[in-house]
Amino acid sequence: MRAPDGRLAEHWITVGSPILLLAAWELASATGLLREAFFPRPSTIVMHLRQLAADGTLWGHTAITLVRIGWAFALAAVLGVGVGLAMGLWRRLRDGLDPVFAVIYPIPSILFLPLVSFLVPPGEIALVVTTAVTSFFLIAFTTTHGVHQIDHLVVEAAFHYGARGWRLFATVLLPGALPFIFTGLRLGLGFALIVVVAVEIVAASRGLGALLWLSWQILKVEDMYATFFVIAILGAGLSYGLAALRARLLPWVQDVAAP
Amino acid sequence: MAVAVPALLLALWEICSRHAIVSPRYFPPPTTVGWVLVDGFAAGDLGTQALVTLTRLGFAFAIAAGPGVLLGLLMGMARPVRDAVEPYIAFIFPVPKITLLPFLLIILGVGEPAFVLTGATSAFFQIVISTLGGVETMDPRLLEVGRNYGARGARLFWKVILPAALPMIFTGLRLGLGLALVALVAVEFIAAKSGLGHLVYRHWQMLSTPEMYAAFALVGALGLLLTRGLRAVQARVLTWQEEIGRL
Repeated sequence: MRAPDGRLAEHWITVGSPILLLAAWELASATGLLREAFFPRPSTIVMHLRQLAADGTLWGHTAITLVRIGWAFALAAVLGVGVGLAMGLWRRLRDGLDPVFAVIYPIPSILFLPLVSFLVPPGEIALVVTTAVTSFFLIAFTTTHGVHQIDHLVVEAAFHYGARGWRLFATVLLPGALPFIFTGLRLGLGFALIVVVAVEIVAASRGLGALLWLSWQILKVEDMYATFFVIAILGAGLSYGLAALRARLLPWVQDVAAP
Repeated sequence: MAVAVPALLLALWEICSRHAIVSPRYFPPPTTVGWVLVDGFAAGDLGTQALVTLTRLGFAFAIAAGPGVLLGLLMGMARPVRDAVEPYIAFIFPVPKITLLPFLLIILGVGEPAFVLTGATSAFFQIVISTLGGVETMDPRLLEVGRNYGARGARLFWKVILPAALPMIFTGLRLGLGLALVALVAVEFIAAKSGLGHLVYRHWQMLSTPEMYAAFALVGALGLLLTRGLRAVQARVLTWQEEIGRL
């Protein structure tokens, strides 16, 4: 009976610590230890959250943000995996593009907003393309690396068994690179959320980032916390949800934990 | 190839811009941008702004590094600490740190502390998670061997645990620095009135595109220098590790 007790005790800390913190916060804000103007009580925040959800504001902004992430991710995934595979397969392409990527990749994606707004019609398309930039590079990088780390012996063996061209690609190279592609997609999705929020703060009037920024500008502190909470849930849902999805769809694929 | 392709792209851009195949107003020739960079540095303005961004980055990193590594090590070695702290890390890590900016702005007021802390939190969580990963994924045989040779407590920590976790700690610091730069440039773009990020924003708004591209290129160079430079340092200092943190 000792072991289950031990597990329960561990669980208690993990569950108890946030509860304790929330209770302390509630108390401190109620008694004025924390300034309620900056740290509204959790119960007040929940009330505002329900209000925002009830009048539909929250759903509207969340839907807009999700649609933007969806388009950006689709764009980045298709182009990123395509370019990544091509770079992995053709040495010359890789040699040529590597230095270009190396310079562009570390540039914070928000800075691409001006550039993108020159290239495509401003508005929704510019927001989506800007959001896709960093995810694209990330996915292309990991995919290229995925093709490169495939064991040469495996490729050679397949070659000797007569696998060529499309067959070699579809049965050896693609499955071999899949774990890395998946890691790239997961990281790319995470980045899409980060960038979309920043882009919405700067250049959109709707969406969760815009809602957050607007709430700060008119000092609706409770709404700020409520919006932050929704963004956090979204972030957790995207990153942990995708990991769970992989475990279910591709159980043989190990997620390559990128440090 | 490595030089030819970028050079070719730049030349193509130059020609297209000079002959107005693309609008030179939006896409000024690279040579024009190059001269703006030279002039900007000569006048001292670009250098000053770059220094502002670098100073913020330095402070943000300094604030995040120590506590981040410490918390990561504590979480890795003391189960109760890990159980108590993990829910917060898991909750906040996937959140875009730029969302913390408005909170810091109301609590600390509009100014450097809020800007720098946004960058610092960005780095902090990455450093904690990498450090924890370093302790967690260390070969248990190393611990056993250390114990069997009589290493306990502080000795075990300094001689076995820390060296084993060091590659991941370093990777965390490197990634953290990169994330802090990203967050800070975004902060400058959105809220600050100085720094390279603000420079890009201001020149975008004024449509002084050569200046905009110059600042843009400078951020790229800075990012490249930091990521490549630190990777080189890592390879030289931690010679016993193989290719951790390629991504």
